[in-house]
Amino acid sequence: MNPSGSKPNVQQAWLSLLRSRTAGLACFTTLILVWMSLWNPTFLAWSNMRDIAVAAAPVCIISCGLMLVLVLGEIDISVGSMMGVLAAAMGAMASASRWHLPPGVAMVGTLILGVCIGAINGWLVAYLKVPSIMVTLGMLTALRGVTEVIMGGQWITDLPPELRYLGTGSWLEIPICLWVTATVVLISLWLIHRSTLGRRIYAIGSHPKAARLAGLPIARTQCLVFAWTGFLTAVATLVSVPQLSVVDSGIGVGMELLVVTCVVVGGTAVSGGIGNLTGVLLGALLMTMISTVLIFMKLGENATYWSKAIQGLFILGAILLEPWTRSRKKP
Amino acid sequence: MKARLPSWLMNPESLLIGLGMAFWLIMGKLDHSFLQWEVQQELSTHIWETALMALPMTLIILTGGIDLSIGSIMSLSAVTAGLLHQAGWPMPMGCLAAMVVGMACGWFNGWFITRFKVHPLMITLASMAAFRGIAEGVSQARPLSGFPESFTRMGNDVWLGLPIAGWIFAGSLAMAAWIMHAHRLGRCIHAIGYNEQAARFSGLRVDRMLLGLYTLSGLSAAMAAILFMARRNTAKADIGAGVELGVITAVVMGGVSIFGGRGTLAGVCLGLFLIHETREFVSWHWSRDELNLLALGVLLILSVVFQQLLGHKRAS
Amino acid sequence: MKHCFSLLSPPHLLRGCLIAWILFLSACGPSAPSKSTETGADNQAVVAPKDTITIALIPKKKGLPYFTSCASGAEAAAQELGNVTLIYDGPTDGSPEKQASMIEQYALKGVDVIAVSPNDPDVVAPAMRKAREKGIHVIAWDADAVTDARSFFVNQSTAQAIAYGMVDTMVRDLGGPEIRAQVAIVTAYLTAANQNIWIEHMKTRMADTYPNLELVAIKPSDEDQKLAFKVTQDLMKAYPDIKGFFGISSVSFPGAAEAVKQAGESGKVMVTGLATPNSMKAYVKDGTVKSVVLWNTAELGYLTVQVGAALAQGALKAGETTFEAGKLGTKQIEGDHVLLGDILVFTKDNIDQYDF
Repeated sequence: MNPSGSKPNVQQAWLSLLRSRTAGLACFTTLILVWMSLWNPTFLAWSNMRDIAVAAAPVCIISCGLMLVLVLGEIDISVGSMMGVLAAAMGAMASASRWHLPPGVAMVGTLILGVCIGAINGWLVAYLKVPSIMVTLGMLTALRGVTEVIMGGQWITDLPPELRYLGTGSWLEIPICLWVTATVVLISLWLIHRSTLGRRIYAIGSHPKAARLAGLPIARTQCLVFAWTGFLTAVATLVSVPQLSVVDSGIGVGMELLVVTCVVVGGTAVSGGIGNLTGVLLGALLMTMISTVLIFMKLGENATYWSKAIQGLFILGAILLEPWTRSRKKP
Repeated sequence: MKARLPSWLMNPESLLIGLGMAFWLIMGKLDHSFLQWEVQQELSTHIWETALMALPMTLIILTGGIDLSIGSIMSLSAVTAGLLHQAGWPMPMGCLAAMVVGMACGWFNGWFITRFKVHPLMITLASMAAFRGIAEGVSQARPLSGFPESFTRMGNDVWLGLPIAGWIFAGSLAMAAWIMHAHRLGRCIHAIGYNEQAARFSGLRVDRMLLGLYTLSGLSAAMAAILFMARRNTAKADIGAGVELGVITAVVMGGVSIFGGRGTLAGVCLGLFLIHETREFVSWHWSRDELNLLALGVLLILSVVFQQLLGHKRAS
Repeated sequence: MKHCFSLLSPPHLLRGCLIAWILFLSACGPSAPSKSTETGADNQAVVAPKDTITIALIPKKKGLPYFTSCASGAEAAAQELGNVTLIYDGPTDGSPEKQASMIEQYALKGVDVIAVSPNDPDVVAPAMRKAREKGIHVIAWDADAVTDARSFFVNQSTAQAIAYGMVDTMVRDLGGPEIRAQVAIVTAYLTAANQNIWIEHMKTRMADTYPNLELVAIKPSDEDQKLAFKVTQDLMKAYPDIKGFFGISSVSFPGAAEAVKQAGESGKVMVTGLATPNSMKAYVKDGTVKSVVLWNTAELGYLTVQVGAALAQGALKAGETTFEAGKLGTKQIEGDHVLLGDILVFTKDNIDQYDF
């Protein structure tokens, strides 16, 4: 603990920035980009960067919501299965061979369904006081079963062109999903830094007891955050699933682990109270980039067997950085 | 309502016993052939590996931690034993090596949790990916089989009504129960779960115990891998995928608080039993696998909701 | 909290366990009498002709349209035969362990025939053998199991023919064996047993017959269409000269095709592989995909049920060389493989005739 006035504020600010997780991730990302540009210059082409961003988009969108859940001190591992069920529902609603509803109705229906599922999670956690890991673990299993039931052994191959446009269309040369991601990020930034809800989330996450004593509406906040995550999962489904022409029943499997890893690698504390959107986004981008990097490096057939190990070791490295970048807090 | 029910009825274990008996009655009504002894005995082989890993997981969750990497440790241990067997080592040595690998992986997790104060969720999430990746790389994603019959007998033989794996579980359960009740370690685990800081200040060797628990978890994963290899005569990098979810489901359903400090082994056994019977019965009676997932998820949510409603409060 | 501890203290725990054990044993009734069997010459128990035959049809992964279409053919056979009850169930996640557990369950239930398409032949082999010991006929279909664990294998085509068929189709689409081209394979999981066998045969075919084809990469898609899409996209960028992709799973094929289409390389980069015609119809129509390799899945399911029923009734025994398969006519049996016939290649010309 520095005695006040012994170091200029600017220097302190720089030091804390350098030690921060975000800076570390930004450095790492830059290093990878530089390395890859030397190894294979086409890596830095606009089309490649755009494709990496498009692939990272659904993860980024859901991470925005999941970060708030973790900051609150809860967890939500049902997002993958939620995405599966929402994709199946969206497909079933819009497909000509199923319920054949207008595309607009299918879109709104998917969003509402996402909010509802999130709200159920939130209600169970906030009002019935069930620990979030149990609720979302149960949801993860149950929703995967519901997805299979909705699909009924047949995949959906005839999404209407309006929905496909969400996934494949561009505006001003930038894919729609990137516009949506940017909007979601801006809304999240506003939520975290400018809104009362954001302040409450951080307060409840850092010290639940104090928050309760201060009279903060904890249950309502919890419910809202889970519903928001559900909404964001629906948004991610709408912009990423129509990129492909076939809606299969395995969509979203393993997504929850990927998102939690991104959020955690990005510097959000699992115990709550600490979370930083930039870090999360960088984490999502990095995680998506790894597989592309490995392909571009053309390491040969034997190396393919080690690609999972490389990804795992990378995550391990990112997580183990944490003790070194953690700011020393007073006990 | 709380005041009218006697206190011994209000804990999760009683709820689970009640649920179990209700399920038995329903299952018996719907399909009596399911309750035959031969059927139950053979179906039980599906659960022993999960049950074995649930024991150290209970202890770990009681301390407020978690271990998501058991499935991956399982695959790495299996691949180790498989590769050594292929290289000509005798099977017992291969199994020993698998157990050493399992303990090393567990120790790896524990070391980072205790020495560097990394949150268990984070480190085990990362090691889950890393260990499985290493297993895949080392085995080149190839299956390894052809284990000697003396080894595979262990997976299929039955002694006095219980498969050998069941006896191994029973032995481990007895040891775990002894640790929790007769040994100082049990009370220490509860103490760490209630308040780790206070436990430290009381002079408990918290770090050493946690390290030991995670190593034990790695060892149990290795033993589960050996049982799997004996039962299915194969070792591959993808075995044990998703098994951590099944184990955690069983543990939390058994009334163990995810925040640490509250929970019993009896509850976990009951949770395992309920999940196993539900899963097998839904498959048996309706033959629709998708219903299985739905039933399991609903079972978990309902049971934890009821646990909450009966007054079991979250440890703050 | 005291009561929690006391409930689990050794004396209570012991008492509780004892009571539970007794309750359990009493709830469980005596075992059902074992099936009355006579052992035939081939050491497989022969069962006398029965009134209803129960056949359990286990796919690799329930919910895949490929298997759903096989099941429709199987259902048709069951209806036609009249005395067959068909149970169609399989793991929704494609897990080999789950498959093995299901086989064990059906064996305990005492079905007459278990027909399984194994995800991993080694993992399900012990369960299959146990079922055979109980007197149940066990056959493999769609994908082969360990030889001594099943009496017959209903094969749509040999793994070699499927692999060779894909490579030959790719060469034809590219324009002939003299074209030099780089190709890549997008597979399912790296540990997927079937895909690995196909890949081995494909490599052999390319090395022996088409030296102008260069296999630059084999990448997994982990049964994730998005990942297949991304992997194909990345491969096209990393290898700008790549001319062909093999999508050898129902999920990786549409993903790869979509990536080629979105990159604007339809018609310049060839995509072929194994998938149901319905999932690829749009791509075939717009020219992204010239050929889809598969076989008549409904006939495969139909044939499987016919074989199963014949086995259960003793009409089919080991060593026979032909089999009368209802409306499919006479099928050849090579060793213990019942052959459906050849692979089918779906192109623009014939894809509309099929709806599965």
